[in-house]
Amino acid sequence: MAVILQVEELRKFYGQFEALKGISFEVNQGEIFGLIGPNGAGKTTTLRIIATLLTLSAGKVKLLGYDLKENADKFRENISYLPEEAGAYRNLTGLDYLRFMAKFYDQSPEEWAKFIDRAVTIADLGPRLKDKVGTYSKGMVRKLLLARALMTKPVLAILDEPTSGLDVINSLEVREIIKRYAREGLSVLLSSHNMLEVEFLSDRVALIDQGRILAIGTPQELKERYQAPNLEVVFRRAVE
Amino acid sequence: MKKFSNLLIKEIRELINKQLIFSLLFTFILFYFIGQVARTEAKKAEAARRVAVLDLDRSAVSRGLLDNLRLIRFQVEELETQDKEEAIIKAQEKKLPFLLIIPPGLGEGVEKLETEEIETYSFLRSFSMSEARYSDVFRVILEAANNYLSNEVLKKKLPEVPPDSLKKPLKSRDFVIVRNQRAEASASAIAGFVYAQSVFVPIILAMILIYSSQMVISAIALEKQNKTLETLLTVPISRSSIVAAKMLAAGIVGLLSALIYLAGFRWYMKGLTGDITAAGGVTTIIKQLGLSMTTGGSIILVISLFLAILCALALATILGVMAEDYRSAQSLIMPLVFMVMIPYILSIFTDLKTLSLPAKIFIYAIPFSHPFMTAQNILLHNYRSIVFGIIYMLLVFIVLVFTAARIFSTDRVLTMKLRWRRRAVVL
Repeated sequence: MAVILQVEELRKFYGQFEALKGISFEVNQGEIFGLIGPNGAGKTTTLRIIATLLTLSAGKVKLLGYDLKENADKFRENISYLPEEAGAYRNLTGLDYLRFMAKFYDQSPEEWAKFIDRAVTIADLGPRLKDKVGTYSKGMVRKLLLARALMTKPVLAILDEPTSGLDVINSLEVREIIKRYAREGLSVLLSSHNMLEVEFLSDRVALIDQGRILAIGTPQELKERYQAPNLEVVFRRAVE
Repeated sequence: MKKFSNLLIKEIRELINKQLIFSLLFTFILFYFIGQVARTEAKKAEAARRVAVLDLDRSAVSRGLLDNLRLIRFQVEELETQDKEEAIIKAQEKKLPFLLIIPPGLGEGVEKLETEEIETYSFLRSFSMSEARYSDVFRVILEAANNYLSNEVLKKKLPEVPPDSLKKPLKSRDFVIVRNQRAEASASAIAGFVYAQSVFVPIILAMILIYSSQMVISAIALEKQNKTLETLLTVPISRSSIVAAKMLAAGIVGLLSALIYLAGFRWYMKGLTGDITAAGGVTTIIKQLGLSMTTGGSIILVISLFLAILCALALATILGVMAEDYRSAQSLIMPLVFMVMIPYILSIFTDLKTLSLPAKIFIYAIPFSHPFMTAQNILLHNYRSIVFGIIYMLLVFIVLVFTAARIFSTDRVLTMKLRWRRRAVVL
């Protein structure tokens, strides 16, 4: 499998505080790669750097061979980022929001229409898409945003806590969507502190704590390595 | 360009919401309504030249006086009584605004060159501005009466001399000089006319600056509050385009709002002061003095206003980044409002060029001060001040927009916050 994202010795300082202490990993094409760790471990900082929101202090990040420092625009063309607590414009309808976001990608109107059709299928909100986003429940907004993130078929979808704040049913639906679209060749880099969710979704996992990666492998490899029944126990043993 | 217009349209749609439309319409209708009422009242005051008269003298002089009042378009209603108190009651019943009581012996006294007293009664039925105008009308009655009586006496005593030559042996011819141009007019009339013509410039400017800035700050703060900014910053559009789209949208909507407010305000002012374009003769003198705004002057004024708006929008963008949410954005607008209001208020009450040196430095350092002076500087051909103001605003804009673009292309767009921390009280 071709490597699409390379992260080497990534460091990030906030003033004197070192949030990332040199982390390295790779994401392959069509792979779901999960970052798991507790709150404040550095997951969101890593994703935000790759999503071009934050600058890196040291190290290298490459997407399809493009260096982040020199080609942030190329990153933006090829990624889609779903922040943890993202919202959509409350005065736009769901459909208008999707149209608005689709038009940022250099495609023809026919392509935009395909993006929107795909998003409508993913969001599965039916006629409510014609209502203003301000009237949506949290679950509906999350599904709309996930649809927005996946509709352009990005090279890499970066999903920060994709099921954050959702109930069981909505969480299950969102996980199914992510799985389904990864099968079509989409690469996903996601983060979560819900380790069981990551175990269900991810092909490979990196355990991250206090700005360092503790271990990388498939969920099965990690469970065997740490002789643990699930990733929660794996993480506890890795930290110990 | 497609991406930019996509973003611009979204920004405008976000800004033009139901609340804004309602607020604009409400204010416009309110101004229009107040203006209409004031107009109607003013017309009423002008038309209502009715006066009740109790003539207790009935001499040739008193009859002449009343005829003279009729000549200057007063509707004289003589009361059929000989009693003052009854006359007051009758005038009140007829709802007449004034009562004039001519005492017995007025004609005889005037003949003997004695000062006579007439009694005047104004019936105040409210304390509105239109009521004040009624009182002005009454002054005219007295002046007319005095003028008539003195002229009559002078004509009899000195028939060969025109009364006006005796009463006003000195007359002045007033000239105004502006730069090298001279015209026969009074300085107060010219200054008043120019002020009335240009009074809207600072009002429009202050409105646009404040509205547009508030919109930019609120737009950025709302993006932060609704957690939409992070997503927007990761789509394939340059950060400078995001900044520019927000600034341009706020500028367009701010300008539109200001124009609607101004239209309403003009109606309101017309109602209070009357139509200034009606001052026919003055316009010729204004042209003669070179005080009318030329096309070139108008272009310079527009450039100056445009630069001030750009400065305000760039500063508002920086302030908006500091806001955590919509509420904090409302506090952050205050420094900008003060920077607009200080020169605006000072420009109304004083000539900014005559301030003390420290005050002048302070005022000139505020970029928004310059356009408030531009209109006057254009009329007075103070081109050095205009050029200085334009160059200064351009430099300030470049620095501010560079700073704003820099903030948007770094982590600061997400991490920069201005927190008002409470001091902990330690006992």
